[in-house]
Amino acid sequence: MTAVSEVDPERVEREIDRFFSEQRWSRRRFLGRGAAAALMAGGLAQVLAACGIDGTAARNLADLERQAERVNHPRTDLGDWTFSNWPLYIDKSVIRAFNSKYGGHCKYVEEINDNNEFYGKVRQQLAAGVPIGRDIVTLTDYMASRWVRFGYVTPIDKRNVPNSRNLVRNLRSINYDPRRQFTLPWQSGAIGIGYDIKQTGREVRSLRELFDPKWKGRVTLFSEPYDSAGSVLLMEGVDASRATLDQMLGAIERIGKANDSGQFRRFTGNDYTTDLTKGNIALALAYSGDLVQLQSDNPNMRFAYPEEGAMQFTDNMMMPAKVEHPYAAETMMNYVYEPEVAAKICAYVNYISPVEGIKEILARSDPEIAENELIFPPDEVREKLHSYPSFTTRQEQQMYEAMAQVTGA
Amino acid sequence: MSLERRRKLIPWMFALPGLLWLLLFFAIPLINQAQVSLMSGDPEAGYTLTWAFDTYTNAISDYKEQFLRSFLYAGVATVVDLIIAFPLAYFMAYKAGRWRNVMLLLVVLPFFMSYVLRTVSWQLILADHGWVVERLRDVGLVSENGRVLATGTAVVAGLAYNFLPFMVLPLYVALERIDRRFVEAATDLYASRATAFRKVTLPLALPGIFAGSLLVFIPATGDYVNAALLGTSNQYMIGNVVQSKFLTVLDYPTAAALSFILMTVILIGIAIYSRLLGTRTLTEAAV
Repeated sequence: MTAVSEVDPERVEREIDRFFSEQRWSRRRFLGRGAAAALMAGGLAQVLAACGIDGTAARNLADLERQAERVNHPRTDLGDWTFSNWPLYIDKSVIRAFNSKYGGHCKYVEEINDNNEFYGKVRQQLAAGVPIGRDIVTLTDYMASRWVRFGYVTPIDKRNVPNSRNLVRNLRSINYDPRRQFTLPWQSGAIGIGYDIKQTGREVRSLRELFDPKWKGRVTLFSEPYDSAGSVLLMEGVDASRATLDQMLGAIERIGKANDSGQFRRFTGNDYTTDLTKGNIALALAYSGDLVQLQSDNPNMRFAYPEEGAMQFTDNMMMPAKVEHPYAAETMMNYVYEPEVAAKICAYVNYISPVEGIKEILARSDPEIAENELIFPPDEVREKLHSYPSFTTRQEQQMYEAMAQVTGA
Repeated sequence: MSLERRRKLIPWMFALPGLLWLLLFFAIPLINQAQVSLMSGDPEAGYTLTWAFDTYTNAISDYKEQFLRSFLYAGVATVVDLIIAFPLAYFMAYKAGRWRNVMLLLVVLPFFMSYVLRTVSWQLILADHGWVVERLRDVGLVSENGRVLATGTAVVAGLAYNFLPFMVLPLYVALERIDRRFVEAATDLYASRATAFRKVTLPLALPGIFAGSLLVFIPATGDYVNAALLGTSNQYMIGNVVQSKFLTVLDYPTAAALSFILMTVILIGIAIYSRLLGTRTLTEAAV
């Protein structure tokens, strides 16, 4: 296996990274750089295929970009196709309406409970280059970024998705997919402070409260470092969407220090909601949409957009590589970008919709939702929403490793 | 083919489906994971087989805390289960009469519900301001600012609760099979009831105790659901580490190595345990 060392992986990474960060390039540069990356990655792939677990650098972005240039998904019957999403993330009547309007049968599966877990489930098929049996998957930014980086996606034929022009301005470009060729936002949410005002006795505004010894043992953070460490960086005045790995590692270290002194009760996924509603904790790092739903049961539940700014995540619809029903998937993407349909989904899921022009529709049908700042953040809040920083797989692994040390696993 | 040879082949024919199953779903994955555990690399460049045995030593030194905790928690849970299950199984076997089947059903009933859901419901039952914890505070078992959830106690309790039926059932079978005339004979020979229990019932129930403790201890050691839901980062067990290594950190070699270390330790433990109890076979009790 000495051949591996002949191709410097760091260089491949740098090359791909640089390629990636450029939003505009001349056609010549595009081809030249693409070819270089393709050559190197191709060589790597051959070596790695010989034995071991395939490295993901083996796929390359340049190839994907070329695919995107000439993508053409002709109109066909929709047939039986599959849409994978998170639980409770759509008003099911939307699916029924879609089926009766366009024909075919959409098998809607609520099977994504955790980005990493879902990735673990389909990873081997993706790496082997076979269809995963899903036509749309909905994954959060950092995982979507990984899929794009690895070439695990199929480009979207935008001619089949004219409604994508309704995408809100601030999401039209994102670091891992500058021209939205492979991903289309499904819903966004903010990561802020969820709290029980009966327990805190007053309003909470700053992320610093999470570290205030007054709440010792009555705070939870997310075990996801993008959320937790990103928020800590914002608290310290760092622009988290441009954070370096060292900054993230520093933030994780500070989380670890506070945890050693007993500040945090647990590190959680979505299950912080139980601790919060049962009064086990006073405040938590929380997702905005969750709190909209908790509030409807208990008016003491509050959500604060931190004054320092908030991390924003977006879940993205994407077509996996070797997708079998691209036209059906694109028709659905187009459908959910119709403002009326998007309004219906928004009224049900209570997250921040990426579709322009639905506030007016909801103002007529559900004025309460249209006025909810957690669903339609005011402009001054929107300006302070930060998307996740973009890391290479190796950096990501270091970050997860560091966070795992802190969370005890 | 001669009759003699055919006769020799027949048992193998019968075993064939089972053997194939074992090969496909046990032996091959095991060899594969053994190979993975000796690879090195990273998720980007890929993992290649380099016979990296240091993964094992590193895994032990990095995670000995979680290993020890797993064995401790699983051990305590097993003892607790034994203490709860023995009288229960004894009662079911000898005293329950016509209620026996109902009681057996009740023991198995929790299995009709998802394992994770059963554990999550303990999150609700043991909430800091819930009824149960308030009563425990009243009687002074929990301090004024104390909690049950998010402690080692909650994790052990969760393990004991979830695996209790695995202790009750083999114990019940072992006790039920004991010929009561042995006990009568012992008392006829002037043994007190306690002595008869100690010298006759208990030794005859040993295979059940052995099978029950293995059925509880082994899955409990590798469990990660209870620690994740009822504990905190200070209670995480080795299963949580394997899960995080495999799914989040994408460090497959370490995850595989941890699994093998766990398996080895458990196998050695079982060997010693069976020697101590003098049980010849596990099947003795399981049938």
